[in-house]
Amino acid sequence: MGSLNRRDFLKVSAAAAATGFVLEGIPYLAGNQTVSAAGVAQDIKTSSNDVIVPGACSLCPSGCGILARVADGKVVKLEGNPMHPVNSGSLCPKGQASPELLYNPDRLNGPQKLKGERGSGQWETISWDEAIKTVADKLNALRSAGTPEKLVFMVGDPRGQLLPLFERFMQAFGSPNFVRNESLNVAAAKLGVYLTQGVYDLPVYDLENSRYILSFGANMLEAGPNPQRSISGLSYSRRGRATRSKVVMIDPRQGITGTKADEWITIKPGTDAALALGIMNVIIRASLFDADFVHNYAFGFEDFSDDNGMHHIGFINHVLENYDPAHVEKITGVPASTIARLAGEFASNAPAVAILPGRGGLLNGSIGGVYAAMAIHMLNALVGSLDHPGGVLTQRYFGTTAWPDLPADDLTVKSLATERVDGAGTVFPLARNAYQAVADRVLGGQAVEALFLYDANPIFDAPGGKRFVEAFKKIPFIVSFTTLADETAQYADLILPEATFLERWQDDDIRGFGYPGVALRQPAIDPRLDSRNSGDVILQIAQTMGDVMSAAFPWKTFEEVIQFRLKDLGVDWKTFQELGVWLIPGYRYADRGGQHWVNEVVGRDRRHAPRDGRFDFYSREMFALFGTMERDKLASFGITQNGDAINLPHYEVSAPAGDMAQFPLRLNVITLMSLGPVSAAANMPTLQEISGMTVGEHWNSWLEMNPSTAAKLGLTDKDQVWIESPFGKLQTKMRTVRALREDVVNLPYNQGHTALGRFAKGRGVNGLDILNPASEPASGLAIFTNTNVKVYRA
Amino acid sequence: MNKTWHPKNEQRNVVLKPIHKVTITDILIWGFLAAVVLAGLFAWARQFFVTGLSATGLNRPVYWGLYITNFVFFIGLAHSGTFISAILRIAGQGWRKPLTRAAEAITLFSLPFGVTSILIDMGRPDRALNIFFFGRFQSPLLWDITAVSLYLFSSVVFFYLSLLPDLALCRDQLTDVPAWQHRMYEILALGWEGNHGQFERLERALDGMAVFMTMLVVTVHTVVSWVFGMTIQPGWHTALIGPFFLLGAIFSGTAAVVIVLAILRKVYHMEETLPVSLFNSLRKLLITFTLGWLYMMIAENMTTSYGNLPDEMRVLGQKTGGDFAIFFWAMWVLVFFVPLLIFIFKGKNNIGWMVTAAILVNIGMWIERFIVIVPTETRPRLLYEITKGVYHPTLTEWVITAALFAGLFLLYAMFTRFFPIIPLWETGESLEVGESRNENAGFLPQQLGDTSGMKGK
Amino acid sequence: MTQWSMVIDLDKCVACQGCSIACRFENNTAPATPEQAAIGRSMFWNEVFPMLDEANDYAQPRYIPRPCMHCENPPCIKVCPVGATYQDEEGIVHQNYARCIGCRLCTVGCPYTVRYFNWTQAEWETPLAEHLNPDRVESSGLLEGPAPRPRGVVEKCTYCIHRLQKARAQAVAEGRDFRADDYVPACVQTCTGKARFFGDLDDPNSTVSQFSKKRRAFRLLEETGAKPKTIYLQEG
Ligand SMILES: Nc1nc2c(c(=O)[nH]1)N[C@H]1C(S)=C(S)[C@@H](COP(=O)(O)OP(=O)(O)OC[C@H]3O[C@@H](n4cnc5c(=O)[nH]c(N)nc54)[C@H](O)[C@@H]3O)O[C@H]1N2
Ligand SMILES: Nc1nc2c(c(=O)[nH]1)N[C@H]1C(S)=C(S)[C@@H](COP(=O)(O)OP(=O)(O)OC[C@H]3O[C@@H](n4cnc5c(=O)[nH]c(N)nc54)[C@H](O)[C@@H]3O)O[C@H]1N2
Ligand code: SF4
Ligand code: SF4
Ligand code: SF4
Ligand code: SF4
Ligand code: SF4
Ligand SMILES: [Mo]
Repeated sequence: MGSLNRRDFLKVSAAAAATGFVLEGIPYLAGNQTVSAAGVAQDIKTSSNDVIVPGACSLCPSGCGILARVADGKVVKLEGNPMHPVNSGSLCPKGQASPELLYNPDRLNGPQKLKGERGSGQWETISWDEAIKTVADKLNALRSAGTPEKLVFMVGDPRGQLLPLFERFMQAFGSPNFVRNESLNVAAAKLGVYLTQGVYDLPVYDLENSRYILSFGANMLEAGPNPQRSISGLSYSRRGRATRSKVVMIDPRQGITGTKADEWITIKPGTDAALALGIMNVIIRASLFDADFVHNYAFGFEDFSDDNGMHHIGFINHVLENYDPAHVEKITGVPASTIARLAGEFASNAPAVAILPGRGGLLNGSIGGVYAAMAIHMLNALVGSLDHPGGVLTQRYFGTTAWPDLPADDLTVKSLATERVDGAGTVFPLARNAYQAVADRVLGGQAVEALFLYDANPIFDAPGGKRFVEAFKKIPFIVSFTTLADETAQYADLILPEATFLERWQDDDIRGFGYPGVALRQPAIDPRLDSRNSGDVILQIAQTMGDVMSAAFPWKTFEEVIQFRLKDLGVDWKTFQELGVWLIPGYRYADRGGQHWVNEVVGRDRRHAPRDGRFDFYSREMFALFGTMERDKLASFGITQNGDAINLPHYEVSAPAGDMAQFPLRLNVITLMSLGPVSAAANMPTLQEISGMTVGEHWNSWLEMNPSTAAKLGLTDKDQVWIESPFGKLQTKMRTVRALREDVVNLPYNQGHTALGRFAKGRGVNGLDILNPASEPASGLAIFTNTNVKVYRA
Repeated sequence: MNKTWHPKNEQRNVVLKPIHKVTITDILIWGFLAAVVLAGLFAWARQFFVTGLSATGLNRPVYWGLYITNFVFFIGLAHSGTFISAILRIAGQGWRKPLTRAAEAITLFSLPFGVTSILIDMGRPDRALNIFFFGRFQSPLLWDITAVSLYLFSSVVFFYLSLLPDLALCRDQLTDVPAWQHRMYEILALGWEGNHGQFERLERALDGMAVFMTMLVVTVHTVVSWVFGMTIQPGWHTALIGPFFLLGAIFSGTAAVVIVLAILRKVYHMEETLPVSLFNSLRKLLITFTLGWLYMMIAENMTTSYGNLPDEMRVLGQKTGGDFAIFFWAMWVLVFFVPLLIFIFKGKNNIGWMVTAAILVNIGMWIERFIVIVPTETRPRLLYEITKGVYHPTLTEWVITAALFAGLFLLYAMFTRFFPIIPLWETGESLEVGESRNENAGFLPQQLGDTSGMKGK
Repeated sequence: MTQWSMVIDLDKCVACQGCSIACRFENNTAPATPEQAAIGRSMFWNEVFPMLDEANDYAQPRYIPRPCMHCENPPCIKVCPVGATYQDEEGIVHQNYARCIGCRLCTVGCPYTVRYFNWTQAEWETPLAEHLNPDRVESSGLLEGPAPRPRGVVEKCTYCIHRLQKARAQAVAEGRDFRADDYVPACVQTCTGKARFFGDLDDPNSTVSQFSKKRRAFRLLEETGAKPKTIYLQEG
């Protein structure tokens, strides 16, 4: 090199500079354009008037607290109310989408009176005064005729004081026929708790503190009787504390709950009782149970003699004799080794809970479902999880101001004593409500003169609901209180449009923690269109009726009723409005047996139960009902056992509707987080759009099938298929899903609407149309899970 | 009327013959093509004003479909002219001369349709100028736009320059054409005199531009491919995509030249001007390209399948056995197997077979464009049920596509009726030496040896 | 400098899609008709989906909620010809509806399929449009946030940019400094499983930066080199 003259040097450095420029430039070329974040804040534009109104969602039983953002008089966004313990600030997709219910294009404008034939869809709008007068006149006529019991009131889920208000209305009027829809859902679980623990309510699970969570078909993440509560509980038990809980999902399909669980155990449908008993068998044999609890706070664990000196077989011998895991494996399809492992894990990871489903496999058409609920609940008692942190708690409620006495009235007393229209307590001895049975009973001759429907759509939401269409022909006067004109309202004579939960006053119990709490719904905006709070309307009807009725209902508005009933809440009305919730937190876990325990934990219901607050491993209630019954009679209730076994939880085979040779697959109608059983959700376009996320379907139904079953049937993914049961057939698209038993097919619920509105109507199919329409003979439960079907290419 | 000098060309009458009159058949054909174009314009207007791109079958994740396929195809087709007249010019392939204009015309007329395709595909064509106001050079789309506009511009210049002497000829010779037509020649000829200096400068300019154009050709189609290649989508993100696009472009362009030649030859009775030997020369090229295409195909797909990356394999699977299998294998048949067999066994001295093969190649290459673009989109990296794409082009897209092709044919057909499609001056005979000494005489090929040493005269 | 980041704990996420819907109502993404939805034109800036595992064909699906990753090195921005999508100093990848020409290069460029194109004019059946969020980020040549989008442009998750701006404006109005926890996106706020966390990745004490260093932390398609700032925590 040697001499580098100036010229060369310049060349070289220019080249270097050029190279440098290029190299420097590369990141710029390949890189990103950035701007300063500061200073952009001036670009924001928003409404001129923004207020936040607390309330509570009513699209499922969770009743989450909400904060509605009302911008320039319009509800533009909902957030969860952080003060509400169930959701503490969260909102699920249904809650988030509820402005689509508020501003739904298919909402009714003013009371609708039928013009022409029932079901013709011809309506005329009338004034509220006229509507209320029509109803009042009709009811007065019934009372004048001396048959007030011929008024039937079918309800879905009236919340807070609306339920006792309706009940009081029926009581004052003199009809025992107030029919709640719990036979479609949670009645089995409630019965399981009642027949063992003496409390007719859903149990509360202290998930936050559980170490081991064993779900028997409780679809905690998609459905469940309090989905947001179980979601937040599980979320906390996994990552909110030092040790992570283990979650085991027992279900014929995996679903989202099974996917997110630590373990998914597939079970033959309808055999949960056997599985629970098999697990208990191992726990007992291994002496892993809570000896203190079973001996000091329970009844019937060991063999015992009654007052007459009769010897009775207790729970322990019953279980040891009949439910060894090898035998249970044959029934349930769950390997004996798995049963033993589950038992070991469950008993040695205290506090552990076994979770009852809202419906799960309990509504399987036989009393076996009730026994299953008992057995599952007993698992908790066996390991001492009852009334224990991390275990099962009892829901307590705020005391409410007593209603004023009803005026004594002979007619009322007489008619209240008549048999219920649904046969609850008589035909169905274990039942308190048999909602779906109303159709058969009316068709069978029960006289009904007037029917009220509140938040109830039996034509769509009861198995074989189409029978209601026939039954309604025998009912001269039908009134539907509803927000959207659903399938059932199509057959009503009068539709009284209800304001949505964002436009009305209503209180709502906070459930799921044990401690009492109340949330408040209040109008974020005035009711849209000409809709009213059904609580107000009921009061107006009573006042228009005059006489005993107006005397029984001295309040002008439902808001006044709430204020009256919640007088002693311990919070002034204004603060309550501002907070949207009021609660007494901190469940006290008192020493078992102590005074506190009796007062706070065992609670009123249980102490007043016929059995001294002890937990029944041997159900004395069952004994009182069935103990002395003839075998034939027992058989008519589907009980094949005799003697003490009747009163002990056991496995009863539930014969499926549709014989296996012809109909080899079990139809499992499942609940989706997005749509759920709430009809209204199907008319919310956004929910339709996200409904089939797991398989990439939307705005439609689909049938889930295991790919090997599909292969056997010569079907491929996305084929159109017929699903045929002995009760009918439906056509939809089939999607293969691996995580599912080969003998089960899943059909998501809440499509197949024929009314309701533009977004819901004519999409997909309703599985209930081909379900067994019968009722379970002892408990009056609807039958959701034992209809068999065959599937073939359409 | 200023009579200028032109090289003597025995084919002059044959070549100029079509220009004398527009026949009824012409009108009918033009009318039909114009109708298709109008239908396309209507469809586009509807898309523009009423429906937006919802009129297409596009969706998430198949964001690009027929329009972008057309874009790539037209730009590819445009490589014919540049290849024949620029690359072969540099390579000194004298046989190309009669083809040059016909080929360049393909370039010239396809390019606007390529650009139009982009506009049609834009969600907001009304904002197209944003590209100039806010253009960012990091974006491959900007490279594309730059390269394509440059390409279009230089093609026009190149084409026009080489047309000049013939325009003058038309001006001078065609006295029986309608007045407006004659006036057009007068204006367009820019007063070309045909003197020696002009011809020399013209040749030099064309030579220079040929080098530039050759570079552009490489750039343009590489850059077009980079619109895809610069994303990290499986199937696109490969360094091979540039050369692959380039080869494909030249391949389909060359095949298009075969078709055009055959048609011209037949319709305008130019059997002598366009001898079979031309086809034989093209045949050799096409055999090379077919094999080159095979080579690229193997290189690309073997690399993918040996690498066995799940993302890449899903896209490959879509092509070989999935939703696009029919197109994929059809492409093999159309672009490779059948044409290769024809070229080798049947094509020699047989124009019919050559045209058949060329048509197959072009259909196949269009499908290839489609196959490169769409299957990748149907299997994005983050794959789940709803991002598994499907794409069913709609009538609107097909009509617009048809209109683009019809437009190309129409422009081409009309051009051949008003301008000499064979470059008369280039294919003309060299002049007598004596004459060439004349100041006024132009063309002295043998004296241009230093500037065109590479040319094989 | 603040670097906004989101962490999603898949162990707590229950695949409820609350986030998707919260985002829709906060940001006014239009519902798609059944026909449009069926051909893949739904718009959910945050989408929840079972990740495809072909090896076991959904036998154990893994549900992923997916907003924009707000990549540190965003492939979408590189390819935009007009700078309609850009990154601010705090790492948020913006989308300017007023400038976008709808070429969809960014949509094919984004490896996460996060970007959505307005195929049609957004429409709400009367009176559904009443619930639209009135917030908008707007100045000359700029339109962002929940403001209804014109047809033909691309949109995507903005980390609720308008909420950030409102929070900043609020802090200014209250005469105090803006703090990272003044602002949380709608999907984080609604999350039913309390699985989503949001904050400043640059602050070593923030939840997101602590979580980002966990053993369970991973990013989607790490191999792409886009360096997402939306970070996931594995199940279990
Ligand atoms: N998101 C949402 N949540 C809701 C509602 C809603 O509308 N939306 N509605 C609420 C109401 S009203 C109710 S009643 C509850 C219902 O709550 P759940 O009863 O928890 O819900 P389901 O999904 O009906 O049933 C649970 C599971 O039982 C499984 N299963 C079926 N047969 C069997 C069996 O024999 N054994 C076992 N082990 N499992 C079986 C099914 O596969 C299903 O996964 O949900 C409530 N929660
Ligand atoms: N196959 C199958 N069948 C099922 C279920 C299932 O999961 N699968 N679920 C069962 C269960 S668990 C239940 S709880 C039932 C649910 O059954 P129902 O309790 O009857 O619930 P919906 O069908 O939602 O409600 C009936 C009507 O109430 C109206 N409505 C909505 N909001 C309001 C309001 O605020 N006020 C008033 N007055 N009306 C309103 C709606 O428009 C709707 O048409 O369905 C049962 N049926
Ligand atoms: S969980 Fe139930 S109550 Fe809570 S927001 Fe969702 S639908 Fe409403
Ligand atoms: S996820 Fe996609 S859209 Fe979001 S920043 Fe990254 S590349 Fe861009
Ligand atoms: S679609 Fe819009 S944001 Fe995307 S690259 Fe094109 S101009 Fe940029
Ligand atoms: S951060 Fe905001 S814009 Fe992004 S997904 Fe969540 S809610 Fe939507
Ligand atoms: S809201 Fe939370 S729990 Fe629900 S899907 Fe989204 S991230 Fe998961
Ligand atoms: Mo229910």
